This record gives sequence, C-alpha cells and structure tokens, in this order.
Amino acid sequence: MERTVSRQNTNLMQLVYGKSTSASTTAMDEAQDSSGDEESDGDEFFKPKGEGKKNLREGFDDGNVNSEDCSKFINYETLKNWKDEELIQSIRDRFVTGDWEK
Amino acid sequence: MGKLQYKKMKGSSNLRQRLVLATLSSTPLLIEDIRAEHTLPGLHPHEISFLRLLEKLCDDCSLIINETGTKLKYQPGTIMGGTHDLVHDCALTRSISYYLEPLLVLALFSKKPLTITLRGITNDSKDPSVDTFRSTTLQLLKRFGVPSEGLDLRIVSRGSAPLGGGEVILSIPIVHCLNAVNLTDVGMVKRIRGVAYSTRVSFQFDNSMIHSARGIFNRFIPDVYIFSDHKKGPAAGNSPGYGISLVAETNEGCYISADTAISYGRTEETGEIEEEKKELMPPEEVGEQIASVLLGEIEQGGVVDSTHQGLLFILCALCPQDVSKVRVGKLSPYGIETLRHIRDFLGVKFVIKPDPSTETVILKCVGCGMKNLSRKAS
Repeated sequence: MERTVSRQNTNLMQLVYGKSTSASTTAMDEAQDSSGDEESDGDEFFKPKGEGKKNLREGFDDGNVNSEDCSKFINYETLKNWKDEELIQSIRDRFVTGDWEK
Repeated sequence: MGKLQYKKMKGSSNLRQRLVLATLSSTPLLIEDIRAEHTLPGLHPHEISFLRLLEKLCDDCSLIINETGTKLKYQPGTIMGGTHDLVHDCALTRSISYYLEPLLVLALFSKKPLTITLRGITNDSKDPSVDTFRSTTLQLLKRFGVPSEGLDLRIVSRGSAPLGGGEVILSIPIVHCLNAVNLTDVGMVKRIRGVAYSTRVSFQFDNSMIHSARGIFNRFIPDVYIFSDHKKGPAAGNSPGYGISLVAETNEGCYISADTAISYGRTEETGEIEEEKKELMPPEEVGEQIASVLLGEIEQGGVVDSTHQGLLFILCALCPQDVSKVRVGKLSPYGIETLRHIRDFLGVKFVIKPDPSTETVILKCVGCGMKNLSRKAS
C-alpha cells in the first residue's frame, strides 16, 4: 500500500516538473536547446509550416507554446446533472446542512 | 556594465505570469516565437495593453518589442504603484480581470499602495468576472496576511463584450512580506452568495438566472442569496450582456467560485465584431449551468476552485522561508504551468502528494522569502 502511494507521488511530481527531477535541465530548457540549434542552420525560413510546429511541441506536455493565457478553467463537458439524487447525496456532507449524526 | 543574462522563453502562453515573476525576481526576460506562424503574428492587443500598463507602474524598466511583435525583451525595474491619477484603458480583446490578476501580485510588492482605474470589459466568459474577483480573489489574499484596509475593488460601471465601457477602481495595500499558510481543511459550505448582472437587457434576465441557480442549490442549503445588479444608462456600458458569479463560503473561511458571462462576442482571430448575431444561451440555462459548475468545484474538495490555483501557488511561493501547505482538487492546466514558472523564476519547488482518500492533492513548499523593503515590518 505504501509503495503505491509513493509511486503516485512521484508520478504527480513528474507530471508537473518533467521526468528527470534531479537534473537541472528541465523539459523546457531542452526544448529551447534543440530549437536553438535549428535556428543556426538558416534553413528555417523555408521550412513547411507543419514541421515547424511539430518541433515546437517537443518537450511540452500541453503541446502549444502559444496557448491562451487564461486562468479560468471550466470543463463544460464533464458537467454533471446535479438534480440526480445519488449525486446530491454524494456531496451532501460537504455542506453544514449535511447529515452529521451517523 | 556587464552583459545582461536574459532568461529565454518561447511563445505567448502565460505571458502575464512570466512578466510578473520576472519583475518580482528581477530577472531580465527574452520571449521569442510569439505566434510566429499564426495568421496574425505577434502580440495581441490585450498583451500590448498589459505591457503598457506594466510600464506605467514600473520605474526604470525597459521593454523592447520587434516590428512584428514576435519577440519581446523585458528588463524589470522597480514597481512604483501609487495613486496619482492612474488610469488604464484596457484593450477590448480581453476583460479587465485579465489585467487585475497580475496587477494584484505586483501591487503587493510595490513602493506605494496602488489605486488604479481600469476601463474596458468587466465581464466576459474567458476570464473570471470582476464580481468573482471581489468575492473570492481578494478574500484569498487575506489568508496570506494582506490587511483588509485598502484592499478593494469598486465596480463603477459594467461593460460587456464586445464594446466594453465598464470601469472599476482597484486598491491594493502593500505588505512587508506575506504569511505562510496552512490551508488543508476546506470545511463545510455554510452559505452561497452571488451576483447576477445584466447590461442593456431586461432585468428579467437577472431574475431568471437567480431563480434557476437557486433551484439547484435548494436541495443542498437554504442560505443562498444572489444579488441582482441590473445596470442601465451609462453604467451599463456599450453592449448588451448578462451573467452570473457564484461563491460558496465554508466555515473554514474558504471561498469557492464559479462564474460566466454571456454576450455577443467577437470573432476569435480578428477581433472584429461578428456580423450575424448568434443565438445566446438563455438565462435559465446559464444559472443552472453555473450552479452545476460550482457544485462540481465543491465536490473536488480543494481550498480554492480550479481558477484560483495559479494565484494560490504564486502566493505560497512568495511567502517567507517557511512551509506552506495547501490542498487543491484536480490540478488545473494553468495551475501546472504556474508551478513550472515558479520553479523557473523563483527556484521554489513544491512537494506534490495526492491524497487518495479524498481524491485531492496536497502541495507543500518553502517560500522564496520575498520581502518588500519599502515597507517596514510593523
């Protein structure tokens, strides 16, 4: 049991900070290095559009370096139907009006 | 003078956070490839507008943008703050909250307390609304020891997208340093508050949203009050729109929020106003939907909602060298990006542990010891 917990723990750290948590170079630095090399060979001007994008994506979990700068996060797809009695019961105790007798 | 070492980054993502953290940590910053391959390359109007705002507030900073706007060189200066007739007209491609979020963090560490008037769109669907900012974001600051005197956001008039016309006045006090927090107990929801607003439409829109939202909450808790804020005349801005912001308060002093706004938008890329008007979501559905979003956030069991994770992490990282511990629900993509930027700029790394019994995540960190030397410790 303890082992699974610790594994989950490292996974979450990895998800956020990249695989080699001990090394100082991170996923982001690596991505910069690799694309820095490409710039120097001067061919970039005529590179097909899709290819350039593909290169940018390497090293990023979320893919796009130009993703929108937006703190708000609502996932309308996972929205549940909160009129459902079972769902209501599932978070009933998060409210002061919940059933605290049991 | 030696050559400055610029921190190099790519792309337009998290631009505000990068600039804020660069300013606070006095790190010169070079961002390249900003939408280099897009049809409309370079910085967008709201980003330029934010950069101008940053220039306004900081002394001795230097901002260089190349011709196409795909490259940005920033050398931070001193954050001045102040109250001297500061007015900023925000670009109408994003709402005022886009500017409020980074301002909030910067202003805490400026030389003088900040009071600034911001004009533009007060409510839109992309950013948290100004109501949420008042009810939730400012409350979060108090947990970190920010005094409540001088901490205020006044909504003078509202403006919906696309034409805006709203105005808010933001006041932020300065702190010597923040207090480390231990926010692991979310507590139980004791009441739900909210604001439904409408501009240039019938006040019935407010009532419908309030009624349908209440309908959802009635099964959970009786203490629900949603204010109606119907604006007309000049206070209603230039465009029709309506929306709702809800906040659940717990007995442990946590605030969980959800909001949205409905209005005729602009087309994504060009920023032009749409020619044919699309069908808007009816107010009944809006109320019901946002009530459901709020319940979803409550279900997650974090001390903040997913929208505020980023701010929470930044504040924790700016604390004195003391351990902060917080509990959040699922990590949001923006929250994860924030954690990475905090590591890159401030050198603060969080210890992230899942808590399987409640399906939440516990984060711990030692603050970077940020101090505002212009304010003496009292």
